[in-house]
This record gives sequence, structure tokens and C-alpha cells, in this order.
Amino acid sequence: MTIDIGGEELVLLYQKALYKPDEKLLVIADVHLGKATHFRKHGIAIPAQAQQGDYDNLRSILNEVQPEKVYFLGDLFHSDFNGDWHLFCDLIKEYPNIQFTLVKGNHDLINKQMFEEVCIAVEDIIEDGPLVYTHAPLKEVPEGKVNIVGHIHPGVVLSGMGRQSVKLPCFYREEQLFILPAFGVLTGLYSMDVRQANAIYLVLSDSVRRL
Amino acid sequence: MDLSKHPIAEQWFLQNEWQPYDFQVKTWEAIGKGYSGLLNAPTGFGKTYAIWFGVLQEYFKKRKSGIHCLWITPLRALSKEIHMATTRVSDKLGLDYDIGLRSGDTSTKERAAQKRKMPHALITTPESMHLMLAAKGYNDTFKNLQFVIVDEWHELMGTKRGVQVELALSRLKAINPQLKIWGISATIGNLEEAREVLLGSYGGKSTMIRTNLEKKTEIETIIPEQIEKYPWGGHLGIKMLDEVLPIIHNSQSTLLFTNTRSQCEIWYQKLLEREPDLAGAMAIHHSALSEETRLWVENALHEGILKAVVCTSSLDLGVDFRPVDTVVQIGSPKGVARFMQRAGRSGHRPGAVSKIYFLPTHSLEIVEGSALRHAIAHKEIEQRIPYIRSFDVLIQYLVTLAVSDGFRADDIYAEVIQTHCFSSISREEFGWCLAFITEGGKMLDAYDEFHKVVVEGGVYKVTSRKVAMRHRLSIGTIVSDSMMQVKYLGGGRIGSIEEWFLSRLNPGDAFWFTGKNLELVRIKDMTAFVKKSVKDKGAFPSWQGGRMPLSSQLSATIRQKLDDYGSGKKVDVEISSLTQLFEEQKLRSHLPHSSELLIEKIKSRDGYHVFIYPFEGRNVHEGMAALFAWRIAQIKPMTFSIAMNDYGFELLSDQEIPIEEALGNALFDSATMSADIYASVNITEMAKRKFRDIATISGLVFNGFPGKAVKTRHVQASSQLFFSVFEDHEQNNLLLQEAYDEVMTFQMEEVRMRRALERMETQDVIIKELKQFSPFCFPILTERFREKFSNETFEDRVKKMLAQLDKEGSRKS
Repeated sequence: MTIDIGGEELVLLYQKALYKPDEKLLVIADVHLGKATHFRKHGIAIPAQAQQGDYDNLRSILNEVQPEKVYFLGDLFHSDFNGDWHLFCDLIKEYPNIQFTLVKGNHDLINKQMFEEVCIAVEDIIEDGPLVYTHAPLKEVPEGKVNIVGHIHPGVVLSGMGRQSVKLPCFYREEQLFILPAFGVLTGLYSMDVRQANAIYLVLSDSVRRL
Repeated sequence: MDLSKHPIAEQWFLQNEWQPYDFQVKTWEAIGKGYSGLLNAPTGFGKTYAIWFGVLQEYFKKRKSGIHCLWITPLRALSKEIHMATTRVSDKLGLDYDIGLRSGDTSTKERAAQKRKMPHALITTPESMHLMLAAKGYNDTFKNLQFVIVDEWHELMGTKRGVQVELALSRLKAINPQLKIWGISATIGNLEEAREVLLGSYGGKSTMIRTNLEKKTEIETIIPEQIEKYPWGGHLGIKMLDEVLPIIHNSQSTLLFTNTRSQCEIWYQKLLEREPDLAGAMAIHHSALSEETRLWVENALHEGILKAVVCTSSLDLGVDFRPVDTVVQIGSPKGVARFMQRAGRSGHRPGAVSKIYFLPTHSLEIVEGSALRHAIAHKEIEQRIPYIRSFDVLIQYLVTLAVSDGFRADDIYAEVIQTHCFSSISREEFGWCLAFITEGGKMLDAYDEFHKVVVEGGVYKVTSRKVAMRHRLSIGTIVSDSMMQVKYLGGGRIGSIEEWFLSRLNPGDAFWFTGKNLELVRIKDMTAFVKKSVKDKGAFPSWQGGRMPLSSQLSATIRQKLDDYGSGKKVDVEISSLTQLFEEQKLRSHLPHSSELLIEKIKSRDGYHVFIYPFEGRNVHEGMAALFAWRIAQIKPMTFSIAMNDYGFELLSDQEIPIEEALGNALFDSATMSADIYASVNITEMAKRKFRDIATISGLVFNGFPGKAVKTRHVQASSQLFFSVFEDHEQNNLLLQEAYDEVMTFQMEEVRMRRALERMETQDVIIKELKQFSPFCFPILTERFREKFSNETFEDRVKKMLAQLDKEGSRKS
């Protein structure tokens, strides 16, 4: 679905990403690649193949949307370097026409140089018109601007008759803050307070819908 | 009595001018003849000495160097008491036999001293015992170990700590095949099995020593003058405060047992409010309090300076408080054994009578007073079900051995299959566990970076110091909940509460904590911000104790008591006090005989309700509700919300529930029960919850180093994530299977549920359409937390909820 933030047209994708058509910009937050391997290196037996879904999902969204630019809003590669790095590089190399930028997150410990070697720019913050992209929410957002972030892994609990409930990932808007859902398969959901929000957009299996 | 073969005991008893009991002499004889065994005796009759003098006598026969006896208790407080009692013997008789303590409290300095010169006996816990197996050179430490005594075995057996004991014994028995094992147990329904579980299949002579000494228990139910016809669930019994005060005044020292911490808090506050003079003479004791405070309370109880202590199961076990002469049980104790144990905390000397008052918290519970008396008189005491095939504990144990001296697979396999817990595991399954710790399950490719245990020359060992340290810190099977700070909006700290409880609340919900009613404002960074609530109602956190199911012994007796009333038999004062409630139930619905099964139907604003009353305890009801929901949903796709208590359960749906049709379709069929349970969605949810402990015990989820939480953040994920990942990618994962097995055994109580279904198949079903809620269904209706069941697709459910929201939205605007 298409929404308006600060006069900019943004498309919310059910693949848990944001698309800005005028710039052909795709924004993806919290992929956490390499997480399974990082765990395994530390003796935690999470199946390595559990990460495969992320590579599949990334390829399929890049092929479908065909962006010119991609911003990864932090926590792209979980923790420090491990053997999964080459899987990620292989993927990036398949898309020489896309300009990738990483907005650094708290889990991104791999140094800038290594990203730059595969032609990924690394920034702490990107300011572009009314939009400010960071990984975690800024303490203070400049007046008149909206801070687009990841980090939180937002989810929302829906309840219905018969006292049922389900938890779904969502896009979350509160004042000057706009939070993207986590893209990665190895991520959980943090329950957001519906009452604090200006708008919540639920991610369903084939669509996005405003709550 | 001829004590010539037990000169140490003879001297001690003579010095104290005591006469040994028969069971003590029998135990000394058995130990002298080289038996292992289980001793069953009530507390307060000297069971410690029954074992101890046997152990001492054996030592002085051979006097081998090194540690001679390990005494395992479930509680540190108990360890201290045993330490005092045994040290007194060595001191008074001038014996060269030292006794040391080893627990989480033992200082590093003391540990080092113990390592240089081991005491003759060490009193310890299952966890500390495993920590010793994680130390290099443990083989040497235990090579002359002659005795392992497991105290309060009935408490340990039904837990994974019991499995830890079994595993440690298998290792110690291999180091010294001459090792003798003795257990001490209170009376439970399966004593013979308790002995078999403890002793494993190592062979050797074994015996069971029982005493016919009996503790007299006097039970009095406190019956309110006015009986409510509509009993709410979750009541605290506060209305009965005035009935309790005279009991406290007329006793020397009273323990008031509550089932939950919050109930404990509230009772304490309310007692103080009503009787400010009690300040200083009354204390509170539960597991959320600091160790320091708890110890102070325990000491004060010993010294007899406390008139009353409001407590939870935290005082079920442990040290004897001689001054205590009265016990009050507030709310259902859920089981006969627990009630007897609590009663036994009073009159703690040989021959004294235990006096216990039962204070029902809602009117239907009054029946339980009568049922408890009946069950105790007829010795209908619950069984403890031992864990089997606990792969999480096995995996932890294997890493423990790899951390210290390393192990060879075939040796350890041969040892563990001699334990009761692992007697049925195959070499393949054992191999899976080895692969789990060496390769992290199934490897994806040759470049895999998994690192934990390595195999060098056939020896499995841990080479990484980091892995070793992390493992030592996570040895144990008690998984504590993740705690969340509770703070006022202004910043004032109130305390900490389990995260799972807080996360189920919505902002604006009220709950009780530290005796105050608080309103949740928001949750941020593992802190719950609250303000004082202006509401007079709040959620009562349904802690563990609150969720304990009524035992089958107790529920069978309750069914019998209802039947007695219905058929006009002579009944206890408890039952006759409920006449009005029963008559109201008859009027609005029906009072079932034991040959009948009652089903009630009613439509309300919430939807369509069906209530069913098997009287089988909440666990069985939870499983049965899921099973019935699934079977009914085969008729047409439906979503249910489920609530239950110990007497019955409710199915609630937004559509009419075709219960009559379901009954015609063999709703109670027990033959296809297991398959149908597995097919129902809920078991996955339940297994996911069980998996939380399993993930921690097996080392998947690490709770962090004390004070160094940050360092491990990058290797932290929720057990739920692991669960889903295994479900998607590793269906044959034994830990996953274990979670399902635990659900079937402990949550669903599969065996009990099958019996209940078989019984229900023979009962006459009485269906009543209600115009108003009945006294029976009222407490179920008001249960705070609910389960859900659905076979509608996820998307369908979401669409329905959204449509509902839309409808409400348009109504508002």
C-alpha cells in the first residue's frame, strides 16, 4: 500500500520492506545475515540452513522490485565476520546495477572497508529531504523531519471475538518516527503499544493493511 | 535392643538417653550388610540418624582416604541442617570424621581448601555435584566414595534435578562399583518405583525400609458464615481474615501457606492493616525475596520470636521449626501430598499432632476440605512421575564430562543406559546427542564453523576456555524466568516480576505486586513502568502454584463427595454447608451424580459458550478442551477460546458450537486420542512453552554471565525462535521430540486423560441450556488467562478480527 510521509510517496511492501518510487529506492531493515553461523561458532546448535530463507527472500524482492538503490537500515550482518560473508558477497555481486548502502546498526561489527570492497557504502545516517534514515531511533529528530528506522522488530497483537489473539509484524508510525519490520527470518517480534501509535500497518502474507 | 554391632550409634543414643526406633536399627543393619535402599519415614522421627550411623560405622571398618560419603539434598537450608546434625555427632563423640558443605554459597577459598583435603563427607545439591564432575581430576576425588545419600528423593524424583542425580550416580558407580546408594523419601503413591529410579540397574543388594510410625494430622475447614452462590475464581480468601486472626492468637506460632506470591503479599498486607499490633511479630516469606531476608525469617521462626509467617511453597521443605504449632492452608492445596507436607510443618516432634486449618478461597473449594480428610484417612497419596528420556539433561551432562576430563562415547553410553531415565535410549539416539555437541546437529557443508565439543583420539572434550566457562555457569536444570524490573513512572523501583506475566498484560491493565494494585503504563527496555491503580480490581498473576492442577486422587474424592450429597448420604460439615449453592446449581442447571457428565450451553455477549465438567484437574481439562475443540472443528472450521479450572472447562466461539453433533460423532473416543491431540494446533503451542526450559538446559539459550550481560547479547535468541527453526528445518531433533513428550506426560497427563475419557464414555451426558450462568460455570468464566484453538487458517482469523475492528470503528465514528 502507498502512504505519504512528509510529502514523500512511500510504498509499504508485504515482503517487509519500504519502497520509494521516485528514487527507485528499496529500504530493508534488520536482515541479520550470518546469525545462524555466528551462533554455531559459539557452540549453539541452530541449524545452518535456517538462514537460507533470507537469501531467497532478498533475491526475490530485488528481482521483483528492481530498485536502483538499496538502503540496509542496520543489523545487516549479525555480529563479526564469519564464513557466511561470501554467501552475502555472492548475492551482492549478482546485482552490479544496484547501489547498496548500509546504515550501520548495533549488530554490525564488520568494518567499513570490507563492505566497501564489495561496493557497499557505509553510513551512520542518511538525510534526504524530509526523511532521515538511521538504524535506531534518534533521540531528537530535526523539526519537520521523519526518522525512518529499523532496530525494534515491531509487531502487534491483534485480538478478536472469543478472546483470540495473533501477533503480526508491522510498520509503525509515531510522531516523527517510522519503524520498519525486521526483514530477517531469524528475528523475533517486539510488541508495540497500539495506543502510542499514529498509524500501524500490518504485514499480512500477501498484503499490507492499515490497522 | 542389641546394638553391639553399631557401637557408634549405641554410644550416641546412650549419651542422649534415647531409644532408637526399630526402623533406625533396621537401616543400620542393612547398611552394615552392604545393601543399597530407600528409607521411607515421616519427618521428625530421626531418619537422618537412621542413615548416618550406618555410614559412620562403615567408615571406621575400612578407613579409606578421600571422600567417603556424598549427601545430596534439594535445598541449601536443608544441607545446613544436616551439616549441623552430623557435625554434632563427630564433635560430641570425638570422631575423626569431617563433614563439609558444598553449594552455590561455598566460597572459592573453601572450595580450594576442600580440594586440598576433602572432608570425609560432603553435603551438597544436585547442581554442585555436577559442578564437581566438571572439575579436572574428579575421578581421583571420588575413587573411594562409598556412599551417596539422596535426601528428600520424593521431591527430586519428579524433576529434572532427579535426572541429574541419576546421571551423576551412573558416573560415580562406574568409578567405584562398590558404591552404595540410599534414598530418603516421604510417603508417595509409587515408593517402589522411586526406589527403582534411584538405584538404576546396577545390580547389587537393595531393600526398602518403611516404618509404621504415623504422624497424626487434624484438619479443620474454616467455613464462612455466608456462602456465596456465585463463586468467583481467583479469590484470595481475604474475606475470611477475621476467622484467621483468632487462630493466630491462640497458637504459639502459625505458618499461613498461600499458593501464589501475590496472594502471599496481599494476605500479609491485609493482616497488618486489620491488626497493626502484629507488626514485628509477623513476617512474609517467598521466593522473590532476597536470600538474606528469607534466612532472617527462618532464624526468627526457629527462635520462636514470630507469631505468624505468611509464606508460599518456599517453606514447604527444609528445616524444622519447632515452635510452629499451627498451619493454615489458604486456597486449594491441589494435592494430598502437598497438604500433608504442609500440615507436617507443625507439631514437628515425634508423637506431636499436626494441626492444619483449610481456608477455602471460593465456596466450591469448601468441598476440598472434606475430600482432603477422606484422602488422608485412606492414604490416597499422589505418585511422582519420574522424567524419562530427558535429552536436554543428557546433553548438558555430556558437555560437563567433556569440560573436565573428557569421555569415551561407548563407556558413557554403557553407563547412562543403566539409569531409569535413559534405559530406553538407543545407540543412535545417543549418537544424535554426540553429534549435537560436536557438529551442532546436521552440518550444512564442510565449511561449517560449529564449535563446542571436539573429538581427539576418541575422547570427547572441550578445548575452548570460553565454552568451558559458559558451560560451568549454566549447569543446572532449574530455569528461572526472565525477570523484568518494575518501576514507577517517576523512577522509584518496586521490584522485579517475571517477564512472561508482564508481557501478557496490556497497558492500562492493573495487577497486584508487593501488596499494591498497580497499573501498567508501558514496557520499555526490560522495565515495566507502572503507576498506582485507581481501580479496585487487578490481575492476580497466575504463578506456578496457581496453575498447579488438582491431583487425580483429590479430584476423584471430590466427585465422590458430590455424589454423596446428591444421593442423600450422610455428609461432612463442609458439604452440608454448601446446600444453598448446590440447590442453586440444581435450579439453574443440574447437579451431576458420579454416573453423569454435565454439559452447559449458554449464549452471551462474548459469544457461544459450552461448559463441560469432568472434575479432572486443570491440566487434563486444558488437553481435553483442545482435543474437543479440534474434534468439533472437524464438523466445521471454527476458532475457540478456552478457559478451565480444576472442575471443568469452557469452549467459547463466535459461532454456535455443534456439541450435540459432536457427541454423536464420538467426542469422547479414547482410542484415537493421541493422534487427535497431535493433530490439534494447541500441542505446538504447549510444546513451545516446554521448549523454553529444554533450550536453556541443553545450552541453546544462555542467560548470560552475571553482571556481564552485554558480552553474550549477540548469541542470544529466544527459545521460541529455536523451536520454530527446528520445526522448519530439523523435524527429527530429539529436543523437539522431548518437548512434545513432556507435554503429553506432564501437561496433558496423557494416562490420566485417557482414563477420564474412558470414564466419560460410560457416563450419562446431561446437556442443559442455561438462561443465566450457573454456580459451576461462573468461576471458569472469570478465569483471567485463556488458551486458543483454531483450525481456521491464520489469514482467515486475521481477516475476521480486522472485520470486527472495522465494525467497531464505524460504530464509533
